[in-house]
Amino acid sequence: MNFHMFEQCHDVACNNFFAWLNQGPLTLTIVLHTIIILPMFWIYFSEKKKLQQGKED
Amino acid sequence: MAGKKASVWTSISFWRRSAAWVTGLATILLIWLTFDTMAQIRMGTDQELKEGIKRRIPAPTVINYKIDYKYDEKRGLEAPVIGPEKQPLFGKELSPKEAAALLHLGKLTSQSKNCMDCHTLLGNGGYYAPDLTKAWLDPMWEQTMPAMTGKKTKEEAMVAFLMHPDKYPTHARMMPNLGITEQEAKGLVAFLKHMSSIDTNGYPRGFSKTIKEFQTGGTYAK
Amino acid sequence: MLNKTAHLSPSKQLAMNYFRVAIVLFGAQLLFGLVIGLQYLFPGFLYEVVDFSVARMIHINALVVWMLYAMIGSVYLMLPDETGIEKPVGMGLGKLAFWVLTAAVAVVVVVFLFIQVGPGKESSIWFINEGREYLEAPRWADIGIVVVVLIFYANVFFTYMKGKKTGIMTVMVANLMAVAGLYLAGMFFTDNISMDQYWWWWVIHLWVEATWEVFVGTLAAYALLRVIGAKREIVEMWLWIEVLMLFGSGILGLGHHYFWIGTPEYWWEIGALFSSLEPVPLVAMFVHVLYDWGKEQGAHEAGGKGNAITNGPTMAWVTVNAFGNFLGAGIWGFFHTLPQVNIYTHGSQFTAAHGHLAFFGAYATILVGMMYLGIQDSYGLKKLKATFKSKMALFLITFGMLGMAVALTIAGYEQVLVERAELGAGWQAFFTAQNLPWYVQAMVWREIMGVVVFLGFVYLVWDLLTIGKVEAAAEEA
Repeated sequence: MNFHMFEQCHDVACNNFFAWLNQGPLTLTIVLHTIIILPMFWIYFSEKKKLQQGKED
Repeated sequence: MAGKKASVWTSISFWRRSAAWVTGLATILLIWLTFDTMAQIRMGTDQELKEGIKRRIPAPTVINYKIDYKYDEKRGLEAPVIGPEKQPLFGKELSPKEAAALLHLGKLTSQSKNCMDCHTLLGNGGYYAPDLTKAWLDPMWEQTMPAMTGKKTKEEAMVAFLMHPDKYPTHARMMPNLGITEQEAKGLVAFLKHMSSIDTNGYPRGFSKTIKEFQTGGTYAK
Repeated sequence: MLNKTAHLSPSKQLAMNYFRVAIVLFGAQLLFGLVIGLQYLFPGFLYEVVDFSVARMIHINALVVWMLYAMIGSVYLMLPDETGIEKPVGMGLGKLAFWVLTAAVAVVVVVFLFIQVGPGKESSIWFINEGREYLEAPRWADIGIVVVVLIFYANVFFTYMKGKKTGIMTVMVANLMAVAGLYLAGMFFTDNISMDQYWWWWVIHLWVEATWEVFVGTLAAYALLRVIGAKREIVEMWLWIEVLMLFGSGILGLGHHYFWIGTPEYWWEIGALFSSLEPVPLVAMFVHVLYDWGKEQGAHEAGGKGNAITNGPTMAWVTVNAFGNFLGAGIWGFFHTLPQVNIYTHGSQFTAAHGHLAFFGAYATILVGMMYLGIQDSYGLKKLKATFKSKMALFLITFGMLGMAVALTIAGYEQVLVERAELGAGWQAFFTAQNLPWYVQAMVWREIMGVVVFLGFVYLVWDLLTIGKVEAAAEEA
């Protein structure tokens, strides 16, 4: 059975970075979402630190 | 934790920094994607056409070739098939320069006559008249319209129709006479033929099916 | 709306001028909408006089321009309140820009209506009609618009720099720069239709699904501060959350326009997931408006101070905005945003249904709300209560728009299933679907509902012209 989950690129042009990331089940869009959202954790903890220190002063 | 209780979720500064980060990164990604896409949607060259190298948007000389729209098993959608047979527009093969000039005239005419506010092009525009994405391949141009306009070929029928659409009504809803000259009409035909060669990722889906069904007198054929 | 503005600050006087032109163009939009709706039913109506393409061009351009006018007006209205400066920097130029813009709009409309189309030459694109949906304005007008918008932006920017720098104004100033800058992406000609539409969407999508939405967020924030006395910290925190989510989903959500125009397949995934998230901030905005309203009302009632709302019509329109934005832009947009669906629905009445409800829900509503705020200021009223006419306007316009959207959705269903799925598009397939009884019925309903909207509009204008005087008399008594 072929469920077409991981398919080789059949687009007109496949020799580019985004086509390479686009390997099947939402890989490209998940990568993009992840790199957008992950740094927000860092922003969260840096803000938390700032708030806690601010209140201790 | 040594610090006191502090909720980051109600901190304006947290949301402001996050908003700036997300907006900035999304913009950068969009610009990067745009560069990549630009390289893929620039018009191809005549040389690439001759060598059979596929481009999403082929060179203007694609109007010298036969164009078809066929189901691609691997991609699961229909894609344009260009050549290798030649089918020169108006029976005369054009040089890259001539083809580009004709396409330029056609695109310019399509804008100055405001086609897009009744028709859709690549699916975008008005919904009052048929989509023009693959109009060049429409079965209506194979028999019905040449017979109606008394022309031998479909491109001649298209020119006759475009110049006097009010003379050749096919439905109660008619295209108005927009004062299109013969040369402009030829340009528009070149523009439409070129557009039908663009790889639109299978839009409109099933277009080839219509062609077959109508040609063989399918259910809704009139 | 027509007088009584003498005591207003120069900024707010200019705002009222922008509102006046906006409402006239709004009327023009509706009238030409009725014409093209009628042409669907009687194709001979005004054939070769004012053809569908011409009437539709005016319909959609009047829409864009009245909204831009009302948006500029709203900025001039909030500028003194937010920055604490009554007379913006460069006010003289700002006033001149208004008249120049209005004259240019009048010339463009006359050319659209009486010259309509030109020969296939560059000069047509420069002086008659650029022929790209929504961006039909000829190139000379494009350049004029850029100059005028730069003057407006200078007014706002330098006033902001000189005055108080609130969170709302910070978002406004940054966002306006993007709104203005994006327009430049639509000002060039290319023989490559895919390239053409690629950049065309930069203007259209990044306006209506990103920057304009953020603009609405700032207007809603300002309106909540003024109308129910919401807390600034809360409103501004929500505003930043909205900016985060709107731009986070909206910028790459642009991908949903790149499914079928000759662009690579990888846009399917990008467009699908990012644009599917576009409704999320719209839910947030909805929750935010209702939550703040409930909270302030509760506090007022607990303190025995009665109603928290100081401007009834504005609050009503802002509430319709919160819901309409979510419904029209969010739900109706999500309906057909996935490529698996969109390959069939792209370029059908489905798009028209979404377009109508989204432009109304997201933009028309809140801009009308801002006009009522302008009336309140013009008459110096402490409270502006809704009249019978305000209520009729709100009800008829909203009900009519919903009816139109539902009718168009049904027409779209018919069209998509028969023309696309069954017959696979094409000339005959198109007309076979257009002539189906269910499709035709839906188009009749659409026109009837269009008339309902127009009746509502008549009430709206009548109300805007009279409510100030009525309320002022009531306040004195």
